Amino acid sequence: MELTQRDPSSKPLRPDEPELDLYTIPSQSSWFLWDEIHDTERTELRDFFDGSSFTRTPKVYREYRDFIINKYREEPTRRLTFTDVRKSLVGDISLLHKVFKFLEKWGLINFSANLGNSSNVSSSSSSLVVVEDEEDKARVKVEGTIPNAVRVGASPNSPKPISAPPIVGDSSGNAVESGFKLPPLASYSDVFGDLVKQKGLVCGNCGGNCDSSHYKYTKGKFIICINCFKNQNYGENRSMDEFKQIGHVENSSNQGAMWTEAETLLLLESVMKHGDDWELVAQNFQNKSKLDCIAKLIELPFGELMLGSSHRYGNFGGLNGNKNGANQIQLSSSELHESLKIEGQSQEQINEKEQNGDAVDECPPSKKQRITSLSDAGGSLMKQVALISTMVGPEITAAAAEAAVTALCDENSLPRETFDVDEDHISNGICSPTTSFEQERVLQDEDSKLKERSTQSETQDTSLKSDDIPLAVRIRASIGTALGAAAARSKLLADQEDREIENLVAIIIETQMKKLHQKIKHFDDLELIMEKEYTEIEDLKDSLLAERIEVLQRAVNAGISRWRDHFAVKS
Amino acid sequence: MKAPALSFSKAPVKFRMPTSANLVPIRLDIEIDGQRFKDAFTWNPSDPDSEVVLFAKRTVKDLKLPPAFVTQIASSIQTQLAEFRSYEGQDMYSGEKIVPIKLDLRVNHTLIKDQFLWDMNNFESDPEEFARTFCKDLGIEDPEVGPAIAFAIREQLYEIATQSVASARESRISKKGRRGTEHATSSKSSGSALDLVKLFGYRSSVVRKRKDWDVYEPIVDHLSNEEVDALEAREDRNIR
Repeated sequence: MELTQRDPSSKPLRPDEPELDLYTIPSQSSWFLWDEIHDTERTELRDFFDGSSFTRTPKVYREYRDFIINKYREEPTRRLTFTDVRKSLVGDISLLHKVFKFLEKWGLINFSANLGNSSNVSSSSSSLVVVEDEEDKARVKVEGTIPNAVRVGASPNSPKPISAPPIVGDSSGNAVESGFKLPPLASYSDVFGDLVKQKGLVCGNCGGNCDSSHYKYTKGKFIICINCFKNQNYGENRSMDEFKQIGHVENSSNQGAMWTEAETLLLLESVMKHGDDWELVAQNFQNKSKLDCIAKLIELPFGELMLGSSHRYGNFGGLNGNKNGANQIQLSSSELHESLKIEGQSQEQINEKEQNGDAVDECPPSKKQRITSLSDAGGSLMKQVALISTMVGPEITAAAAEAAVTALCDENSLPRETFDVDEDHISNGICSPTTSFEQERVLQDEDSKLKERSTQSETQDTSLKSDDIPLAVRIRASIGTALGAAAARSKLLADQEDREIENLVAIIIETQMKKLHQKIKHFDDLELIMEKEYTEIEDLKDSLLAERIEVLQRAVNAGISRWRDHFAVKS
Repeated sequence: MKAPALSFSKAPVKFRMPTSANLVPIRLDIEIDGQRFKDAFTWNPSDPDSEVVLFAKRTVKDLKLPPAFVTQIASSIQTQLAEFRSYEGQDMYSGEKIVPIKLDLRVNHTLIKDQFLWDMNNFESDPEEFARTFCKDLGIEDPEVGPAIAFAIREQLYEIATQSVASARESRISKKGRRGTEHATSSKSSGSALDLVKLFGYRSSVVRKRKDWDVYEPIVDHLSNEEVDALEAREDRNIR
C-alpha cells in the first residue's frame, strides 16, 4: 500500500497556481472527500445523522470536521491537540472530542505530525535501497491502526522541499515516545558508508557509483554498474555478451561481499529466525559484519521478503527506487496478467523463468524462502510464477520449460506446425538488445509479430549457457503462439465491443427519432387547433361587420343627419 | 421560530447524573477544634451505605485526624447522598440542553480557568475523560488536577440537573401542559438553549467568532509558593 498524497486539485491541471501543499493521509482514509460525508463517517458518528437533535446535523458535522482539518493543515508538522480546536467550536464538548478522536484515528489529522516525529533519513539517489526496517517495524507497532501505509521508503515529508532535516539521532527520542525499546536504527550512512567510499568508479550509464562490482565492456573503455547490467541498460550498441564482470577485490575490511551459497542460506535462515535483530544475525557469521548482512540481504532479488510481514505486501506493490530485477519481474508479470486469459499461461511461466534465470544465480534455493514467498504471492498467478522462477536455478527453469512445451505440443498439433514455421522465422530473426518486456502491449497482429521477434531476441540474450538452442527456439515459438492467440482474442473482444457500441448508438438514434416524431405530431395538432380558432375568429369578424352594417342601415333609414353618420362611423 | 418537533416530544427522563458513570459529587468541609478537613470526591450512589462509615474511618486513619471526624464525615456524606437520592425518583426535563460549564479552580500550584459547553442530554459524557485530555494537551503533570477538574464539572452538572428537576416539577404544577413545559424550561435553562436555535440553524456557523476564542480557551497558570499562600489566605478570609 502506498501513501496517497492528497491535495484539493491535482498539479498538472493547474500549472498556473502556486505550488500546492500535499498532505499525506493513510491509504485507508482515501474515502475522505471535502464535499461529501462518507458512510464511514455516518456510521461512526451516528449522532449527527439520526436527526435526534437540531444541534447535531450533517451541516454541523461538516463544519466541525472541515474546521479541525483545516486547522491542522495550517501547520501539519505540529500535533494538533483537542484543546486547540475546542475553543473555536460551539457545541457539546464530548461530541467535539468524539469527532476529534475520529479524525485522528483515521489519520486525517495529526498524521504527518506522528510520522514526522519518527522519520529518519530517506533513501538517497543511489540505486541501492535503504531499508529502514527497524524503524518501519516500530512504526507498525506503534500506530496499530495504520500498518500498511508506512511502508514506502520515503518519509512523508520528502515531497516538500522544506521537510524536516534528517534526524538520525532521533531514534532514542522516538523510543521514549513510543514507550518501548527500539533496536538502534541502521541509517543509510552507517550501512553503506563504507561501500560507497570504496570505489571511485562511476557507472557510465546511470552515473551512480559502482559499489561492489562492475561490468567492464570488453571492446572499449566502458564500465557499468551491476544494476545497469541487470536492467540491461548497456548503452548504445552494446550487448550483454560484451560485458565482463569484474568483481570487487575484497580487502580485509570488506570481506562481506563474498557470500557463498551456504552463507547466504544461513543468512536467510537466521533472518527468518531473528527478524530485524541484526546483532544476532551477524553473530552467526564470523567474518561478516552486521552491515554486510543487511547489504547482502538487500541485494537478493526478493531478500526484502525476509524482513517481516509488513514488507512483503508493501514490497510487492513496488518499491520506490528499487531498481533490481524485482521491479522488472513485478511489472512484467502484471502486464502479462492483464493481457492474457488463456490456457497458454505455461508459456508465460517459461518466459518469466527465462528472464529471471540470470538474476537468480546469487540466490540459491532455500527451502524457507520458498515457503514464505509462496504464501505471500497470494492473488496473482503471474506473481507466483515470477517468484517460483526466481527461486529455481536456470537448469530447472529450462527443464520446466521443456516439459511445458511438450505438454503443449501434446495437446494440439497446431503448435507443432507453428513451431516448424516459426523455426524458419526465428533463424532469420535479428537479435538486438531490445527494450524491456514492460513496454509491450498486445493488441495488434503486427505488434505481436514484432514482439515475437523481440521476445525471441531477448530470450536469446538471456538464454542459458548450455546447449539448449533448439529448446530456445521452441520456446520462442510457443511464446509467439501465445501472443498471437492473445492478439486474436483481444481483437475479437474489440470487435464485439464495437458491435455493442453500434447497437447502442442505433438505439439512441431511434429514440431520438421517436422523440422528434412526437414533437412534430404535437405541433401538427397545435396547428390544427390554431386554424380552427382562426376560422372562428374570422366568422366573428364577419358577424361583427354585418352588425355594423345593420346599424348603419338603420341609422340611414331613420334619417339621421350626415355629420352624425360620420361621427358614428368614425367612432 | 422553527423548532423541530422531535426534541420536544421526548418523555421526561428519570433524574440521574448526565454522565456515563452515575457518580455523585461529594464535598466535605468539616472543622473541629480548629482543624479543618476539606475534600471533594465522587461517590457511587449504588454502593451500600456501610461503605460510607468504612470510608470515613479509613480517611481519618490515613490522615491521622482526631476520631471525632469520623462521625462528621460519615454524616456529611450521608446527607449529600440522601439529597441525591431524593431527586432520583423524579423526572428531569429532557429537552435540548447545552449548558456552559465554567472552571475556576486552584489545585496545589495550578490555577485553571476555562469555559466550554456541555450537553446535558448526553448521558454518555465523561468528565473524567475530558479531564484526562485536558491535562494531556496542556501538559499538566500534577496528578491531582485531573480529578479536580472532573469533580468541578460534575458538581456543576449536578446542580443544573437538580435545577431541571425543580423546574420540571414547577411547570407540571402550573398545569400549563406540554407546550408550557417547553417554553418555561427553555427560558429557565442557563440561557444557551435559546442561542442554540440561532447557532445551529441554517444560516449561522458553529465556528465561533475569533473574538470569543479567548473566552473559551483554557488558561492554566502555575503559581509560585507565595502566590499559593496568598490565595489560600484570601480564600480563608472569604469563607469566614
